Amino acid sequence: MPRHTHHIITKSILLTTLLAVAAVTCLGQSTTGTVTMSATVSKFVEINSGGAVTLTGNSGGGVTTDGVNNSPLAVSINLGELGPSNTNSFVTAQVPLKLRSNAAYVLSMAATVTSSGASASRITAADVGFGLGTVSRTGVGVNSGSDTNATSGDPTLAANGSVNGTTGRYEFTAVRSNLSAFSSATTALSGPIIMNAVPRSNANGLTVPAFFAVKPQFFENGTTTISVTFTVTAP
Amino acid sequence: MRLRHFTYGLLTLLILLAVSQSTSAQALDISSGGLPTITGAVGGSVTGSALVTDDLIVTINFGEVSPLNTNSIVKVTVPIALRSNQPYQVSVSVSGLNNGNAQALQASDIGLGLQNIRKLGGAGQDCNQSTHIIRSPFNNDPALNASVGGSGRVTYPSSLANLSGATIILTGPVLSKNNSIKRQQSDGYVFDAIFTLTPQFFAAGVSSVTLIFTIAPGPNVPC
Repeated sequence: MPRHTHHIITKSILLTTLLAVAAVTCLGQSTTGTVTMSATVSKFVEINSGGAVTLTGNSGGGVTTDGVNNSPLAVSINLGELGPSNTNSFVTAQVPLKLRSNAAYVLSMAATVTSSGASASRITAADVGFGLGTVSRTGVGVNSGSDTNATSGDPTLAANGSVNGTTGRYEFTAVRSNLSAFSSATTALSGPIIMNAVPRSNANGLTVPAFFAVKPQFFENGTTTISVTFTVTAP
Repeated sequence: MRLRHFTYGLLTLLILLAVSQSTSAQALDISSGGLPTITGAVGGSVTGSALVTDDLIVTINFGEVSPLNTNSIVKVTVPIALRSNQPYQVSVSVSGLNNGNAQALQASDIGLGLQNIRKLGGAGQDCNQSTHIIRSPFNNDPALNASVGGSGRVTYPSSLANLSGATIILTGPVLSKNNSIKRQQSDGYVFDAIFTLTPQFFAAGVSSVTLIFTIAPGPNVPC
């Protein structure tokens, strides 16, 4: 190829490149634009009060700090007299719980019972009956689902306790029907996702009553403190 | 000699091509309309250019939208600039967000509305025979019009669920006075694209979606 021809071709290529680059850089315009979006939904669970506490069979005592629906659960109850001077068959406190979640949940409970008494006749964890009642999933935005109650329900039911024929002491005998079964965090209830896609301002949720019961007996005199902690998790 | 003619011919053709590209490319343009903003987010963010001469490339992270975010709503405002020397239309297409679980985030959970059409940099073509029209149902601020539906889920007058294919959201007459071959700081129009997401008991997970805004020749309306 002659040198002259070679020059022309080289210049042509250079000029072409120059024009192409110039066209692109001069314009800097576009007919499209992009918006990309992302969002994260983490697992969420919560437990709140499901309403006011119901205390029955008590002699003296009362609800010191009541539950308020949809407020943090912080209830304080004085069960009153638990000796034979209380002639009721049981002192029972019913504490409504409300659970909400966007994932499968597990409700566990841990309890401690401390008594000023020193003998075997003092009130112990085994003397405090416990159980969860009927689970309710109702209201707009609440997902239907089947929950597993690991307790035996209302501890005052005849099927859940009786007088020990040997010792004469009343005992809560059914599965997880007294607080001795909850000396460490133990599952009380579990189930699938509770809430559909609704905002937190929706006040509905899963409600379940927690029953605590003591049979008045010839306990060693003194005072007893029962502390219970509910925890809900999304495993 | 023949080679020289061929070369000159080729150069002329290239110049004509470049000029014609310039002419057509300046006719319709979409770009950033300013810095996007976000409110109500927990762990969220929005990135985009504050310069109206930059391309429209915006990344929105709504952050946490479970009830862990106790704000009533997450709102993102994205200003979008438009320039044209002819009637135009803006369309949006959406991709992604294919959650099979109905309780997970869906397209209907992200509100989309257009508001506040204004001149870019205070300058733009004044037309008295036609107006810029936000197509139904997008003419609203979804943050101000969110409501709870019968199922308890939050709904909006318009959302990403209203986008099907390339959906036209805005039309109007010529936008620019001048035929500049470059993006100018002014001489066009800007509108706000508003995106909203209300934190709810969505099923857990991470979702993403991409929107493409396109400006094209629109209905031939007079200025």
